[in-house]
Amino acid sequence: MPEDVQMNDSEPQPAAPVPVAAAAAAAAPALSTLHHLKEIATVIEAGSLSKEVRRISRAFRLTVALRRRLAARDVSAFLAFALPASSEAYGRLTALVPKEDDTEMDVDAAAPATQISIKHGLPEIEIFCYLLVLIFLIDQKKYDEAKACANVSIARLKNLNRRTVDVLASRLYFYYSYVYELTNSLAEIRGTLLALHRMATLHRDELGQETLLNLLLRNYLHYNLYDQAEKLRSKAPRFEAHSNQQFCRYLFYLGKIRTIQLEYTDAKESLLQAARKAPTTARGFRIQCNKWAIIVRLLLGEIPERTVFMQKGMKKALTPYFELTNAVRVGDLELFRAVADKFASTFSADRTRNLIVRLRHNVIRTGLRNISISYSRISLADIAKKLRLDSENPIADAESIVAKAIRDGAIDATIDHANGWMVSKETGDVYSTNEPQIAFNSRIAFCLNMHNEAVKAMRFPPNSHKEKESAEKRRERLQQEEELAKHMAEEDDDDF
Amino acid sequence: MDPKMTEVTQMFARFKAAYARNDLDACVTLLSQLKVHLTKFPSLPPSFQQTPNAVEELKLARDIYEHAVVLSVKLEDQDAFERDFCQLKPYYMDTCGIIPPSPEEYPILGLNLLRLLVQNRIAEFHTELELLPVKALEHPCIKHAVELEQSFMEGAYNRVLSARQAVPHETYVYFMDLLAKTVRDEIAGCSEKGYDSLSVSDAKQMLMFNSDQDLHEYISEEHPEWEIKNGAVFFQKAKESQPCKEIPSLQLINQTLSYARELERIV
Repeated sequence: MPEDVQMNDSEPQPAAPVPVAAAAAAAAPALSTLHHLKEIATVIEAGSLSKEVRRISRAFRLTVALRRRLAARDVSAFLAFALPASSEAYGRLTALVPKEDDTEMDVDAAAPATQISIKHGLPEIEIFCYLLVLIFLIDQKKYDEAKACANVSIARLKNLNRRTVDVLASRLYFYYSYVYELTNSLAEIRGTLLALHRMATLHRDELGQETLLNLLLRNYLHYNLYDQAEKLRSKAPRFEAHSNQQFCRYLFYLGKIRTIQLEYTDAKESLLQAARKAPTTARGFRIQCNKWAIIVRLLLGEIPERTVFMQKGMKKALTPYFELTNAVRVGDLELFRAVADKFASTFSADRTRNLIVRLRHNVIRTGLRNISISYSRISLADIAKKLRLDSENPIADAESIVAKAIRDGAIDATIDHANGWMVSKETGDVYSTNEPQIAFNSRIAFCLNMHNEAVKAMRFPPNSHKEKESAEKRRERLQQEEELAKHMAEEDDDDF
Repeated sequence: MDPKMTEVTQMFARFKAAYARNDLDACVTLLSQLKVHLTKFPSLPPSFQQTPNAVEELKLARDIYEHAVVLSVKLEDQDAFERDFCQLKPYYMDTCGIIPPSPEEYPILGLNLLRLLVQNRIAEFHTELELLPVKALEHPCIKHAVELEQSFMEGAYNRVLSARQAVPHETYVYFMDLLAKTVRDEIAGCSEKGYDSLSVSDAKQMLMFNSDQDLHEYISEEHPEWEIKNGAVFFQKAKESQPCKEIPSLQLINQTLSYARELERIV
């Protein structure tokens, strides 16, 4: 509805006196937003009465679509419509929504014209009102009011135990935490979130648990409390994910925790999975995932492909990481230091600075590997010069660095201490060993496993197995197939 | 002043006196009494009640725990260090805005980092490091630990050992000595893989032993598989992947059968 948007855009001009005719015209699109809200309310009502959670999630999706068009008077009109005027919630919520007195009267007058009415006093509707007001206040950047609204709604939620509220509740938790994050006071709500998580666990509200666990992890990671985050994560009950978005977030936080704790292989897996599973519209999230994934891969000694940095819409954000990768790939300590200095502020903002400090060691490794491949024998003094190790005793440093690289399996060489040189070993013919056989086997196993997983993950429409075909139908089908086969055989003959 | 507070302050003064006298036994007894007294202050973690003399109590408690940590280093008791440090940590992390930061904060945090390094708990080392603000990384005590970790990971063991001469705080010496032992084990492990053989004098110098006798003892204790002959140490090489002479038939049959079974399921 393009007109609606246009009309709404012209609204925020309270200074101009509103003529009656214009007000009536403005009321029409407002009515349509209000109308939508009312329809959503009926969807929620139906969902509540028939106990179908699916409908409530649909109602929420519809609300998000309306989000940009919400105006103060739509919200207050809807509150008047949905909540009994005497209720506590009504009093609290209307106090929070700013007044736009002129037009409000018109809308109120127009409201009875719509033929929708709902049952009063359903907790789902009440929670929905809280959610609507909260979203509205956040969009209007009225964070103090939004905080007040969030606190009231959370207090109300604690007294409710209905499975149909869970969907709305999980969204409320999210916005609750979001407001506190926007006002930079996340630490205050940690206790409440933990209490809510405990409650959700006791109610077996899995969606709520999932959402709250992510919020808590986010809360801890915001303050770099990796230890606490990991302790909570490893002890919280796990189950199959309900919402893809929440699962993506979980994977991202998990990847971050594991990176800090040096479990790079697992971290890489989680981060790449998170980046892949995230919806394409979540660009910021995917950029974050990619940044962390790039660093983890570098720490693992891998070099990410160029395509990673050239993904649509990410090129600019990933430039610092691209240059960093380049420095690691070349194995040049000077270049690495220059890049780290050049983008120091970006890395600090991304909170990857400490990880980049860890990378220094990988730069040396890569440089060493390049040397080991190009020379069959090289003196330790030359290695120190090539790696640009600046210390009082570069030869002794180079010797111990080479020794450690050999032990960790980064290079295949031996050191001759008496002559002070490193001798690279000839790479043997790998096809004379069992290696290819093992690699081949692991790949086949992977493919077979993938197939089995895919079969397991397939969904079938409910009741499909019950509709067994009758004997007659079966006969009919077989006959048809036979005819088809005959027909095809004839066609084949014709070709000759 | 609150009578409880006065009592604890007096006792702490006695503790400090004993500490100055180097009377460690008296310190330990006084410290455990002090800790019991501290449990009676309501403003301390985890309850953080807003009492009128909260600031005084918090400061005193932090001071006591800081001394406890330093004492545990003196006693060379790593478990006690960990316990005391855990008790001290909330005062550094969660009392911002209530009491001013302690001058001892970074030296003690650096000491803890060093302990984690000595105990080879690198994951925890990095977790702790993430908690520190950028400003803290500039502090000599923290920087010392961070640089040690880096040299340690790279394999520049000489730098680790030379860092012992430049300790930023006298309490660091104990852990630096422990680190030397860890470094020796690391060097031994690396040499085993990196060299075919080393002359006894070179090995002695690398592993930081003063006499051949010490080296022999170390080898017979830690690495009995090394061989010493003709004035050189020979390391036993682990067998590399040899060219395969015969086909591992049984394994292949098993694999092929499992492929057949899986394919059967697909088709």
